[in-house]
Amino acid sequence: MRKSTPYVLTLPLIAAFLIFLLYPLYKVFMDSFYQASFLNPFYRKFVGLDNYKWLFTFKLFNPKMSYFLSAFWKSLVWVSGSVGIKVVLGVLGASLLNSRYLAGKKVYRTLVIIPWAIPWAMASMMWAWTLNSEFGVVNSILMNLHIVNRPVTFLSYPTTAFLTTMVVDAWMGLPFMIIMILSGLQTIPESLYEAATIDGAGDVKKFFYITIPMIKPVLLTVTLLSTVWTFNSFDIIWILTQGGPMSATETLPVAIYKVAFLMIRFGGIGKASAMTIFQVAVVTLISVFYIRTLRKGAEL
Amino acid sequence: MKKLGIVLMVLILAFSVEVFATRTLRVLMPIGGGYTIEDQEAIAKEFEQTHPDVKIQMEFVGWGDLWNKIITSIGAGAAPDVMYIGSRWIPALADMGAIIPLDKYITPEKRALYYKTVWDTVTYKGHVWGVVRAMSTKVFIYNKDLFNKYGVKIPKNWDELLAAAKKIYHPAEGIYGIAMAGKKFVSTVTQFQQYLYANDGRIVDENGKVVINDKKAVRALEFYKDLSEYAQPGIIEWKREDLIKLFEAGKVGMYIDHVHNARRAMEKGINVGFFLIPGGPDSSKPYSTVIVTDCISISSQSKNVDLAVEFMNYMTSFEKQKEWDLKLGFVPPMIKEKDLPEFQKWYWKPYIEAIKYGYPEAVGIKDWEGTQEAILDAIHSVLLGYSDPQTALDRAARIIEILQK
Repeated sequence: MRKSTPYVLTLPLIAAFLIFLLYPLYKVFMDSFYQASFLNPFYRKFVGLDNYKWLFTFKLFNPKMSYFLSAFWKSLVWVSGSVGIKVVLGVLGASLLNSRYLAGKKVYRTLVIIPWAIPWAMASMMWAWTLNSEFGVVNSILMNLHIVNRPVTFLSYPTTAFLTTMVVDAWMGLPFMIIMILSGLQTIPESLYEAATIDGAGDVKKFFYITIPMIKPVLLTVTLLSTVWTFNSFDIIWILTQGGPMSATETLPVAIYKVAFLMIRFGGIGKASAMTIFQVAVVTLISVFYIRTLRKGAEL
Repeated sequence: MKKLGIVLMVLILAFSVEVFATRTLRVLMPIGGGYTIEDQEAIAKEFEQTHPDVKIQMEFVGWGDLWNKIITSIGAGAAPDVMYIGSRWIPALADMGAIIPLDKYITPEKRALYYKTVWDTVTYKGHVWGVVRAMSTKVFIYNKDLFNKYGVKIPKNWDELLAAAKKIYHPAEGIYGIAMAGKKFVSTVTQFQQYLYANDGRIVDENGKVVINDKKAVRALEFYKDLSEYAQPGIIEWKREDLIKLFEAGKVGMYIDHVHNARRAMEKGINVGFFLIPGGPDSSKPYSTVIVTDCISISSQSKNVDLAVEFMNYMTSFEKQKEWDLKLGFVPPMIKEKDLPEFQKWYWKPYIEAIKYGYPEAVGIKDWEGTQEAILDAIHSVLLGYSDPQTALDRAARIIEILQK
């Protein structure tokens, strides 16, 4: 192999990175200093940091908080909730699928991947009707079991809509978590558990002192990936609630979309770009934090 | 001599290329909601047959993404020549110079084909910006069996409407007085507008002043809230397009919708009746409806304006319009169409009658998408009990005032 071979082989990747990631990001970064709108491609006015100032000063429906901060705050809570559910259920689900006592593991492992395989837009539509108050199967079960005496309107109230979209997002992302964590679990040597058993450790102790530390690198990696993906999640909310009721589910990606495409007189490309750059910065910070933690874990 | 031969050959070649050149016209059309790719392509093919040098390049996009497609293609400097748009977008597109005024292309004969109110929907700042392709009026469709069962008569005013909804409302049996929309979607705003206009309210008045928070509008939103007490649960999760599922399941007494959905319910065995939307307490008119239209507009980036106009006129000729309306079940925008045998049928009559009580959906509204967001926020905050109608509409008015500047 020649010395140059690795560089030649990575060239397509570098080219793709430059064309499809770095250049668009550079364009968005530059746009964030301009006042511009999709409707008027010939008008661009340099406004310096005005768009970034706008992020913290422009109030729309909430008089107490800027439109951007309100969306950013919702994003943080929504992402934390969704990723939290995915991690907890991911570990539990993977442990279950790794259990020696579970029969038919192959079938369950195949079934668990289904939500991941369904296109997100279609899965969101499916959930919209599953949760529907009149025709939804969830309400049908709740009513027939006499758990509720009136249909639950999951997407009609700010809090329930927020939680529902979060749970649906978690449902869609869970298979990835389970499969990745399961692969981590399968690398743990059985001898560690046998030694712990001899030392008198119970299942709970084994879980916290053997399982969790051993899968920590996998756990950190999938949590990082899931956080980034969930931060960018748009289609689930858009299809289920379009950011409503009121603006209860208007997370940052939904707000960016609205500022770019719908509220053109208030917003436009420049302001949406400033919001995007802020989001990219936050996601990058989270990534750096996780990667550092990961390195520390690896060094130990 | 040799050189002359080459020059001649080049000239002949250039001439023949010019003669057989194909002019391409890019046309943006929506699909969904009854619009199919096959229907649209059939029109393009017919046009190409009579214009052998023309190639119609149809571009399709779902209704939900039409606005985005339009503004991104304009932004990229690659707008299609002909664009099918919701007429409510005209002010925003016209103000930005994205579409051209069509006044000089509209002949007096063409103008006379349509109702005046139809032209109002595509007129902005005194100019015509589109030719209407589809129109809708709406009336109440009701379940005659449920009306008979609960001894309800056709409501003539808002008190009777509320009383009728209340009488039919039996949630324990899964029966609701009325079906209503509340989801964040354009049709929810239109559903509210039905009551707003019925009470002689407006979003902006003829002078462009925002009046969405005046007494008439506040009363309309109050009434929307009152009616919601007798509607299906969780109306915020429903858009108007999905309400037919409740109606055809025999679960609701009445709701406001298109004729084609009424016919769909009939096919499912529902005993359907119709009544016009009664005027509210502040209105002098007995009935009302919102006139919604979609139109064909021409991009200011088009290099083929004359051809685009020709195609637009072809699509909106009486023959083509008639075919379209009959096929898709739209209310006829052309006056002559109402004499066609199909439109004599009993279920069409209320929709055609409603035209004379109609008022355009978005006349004078400069930024529909932003206005829609503001009104939806007001509707939600009232339905959820976060605000009273006056406070909610005051907030909406403040936002719309900024949008109107």
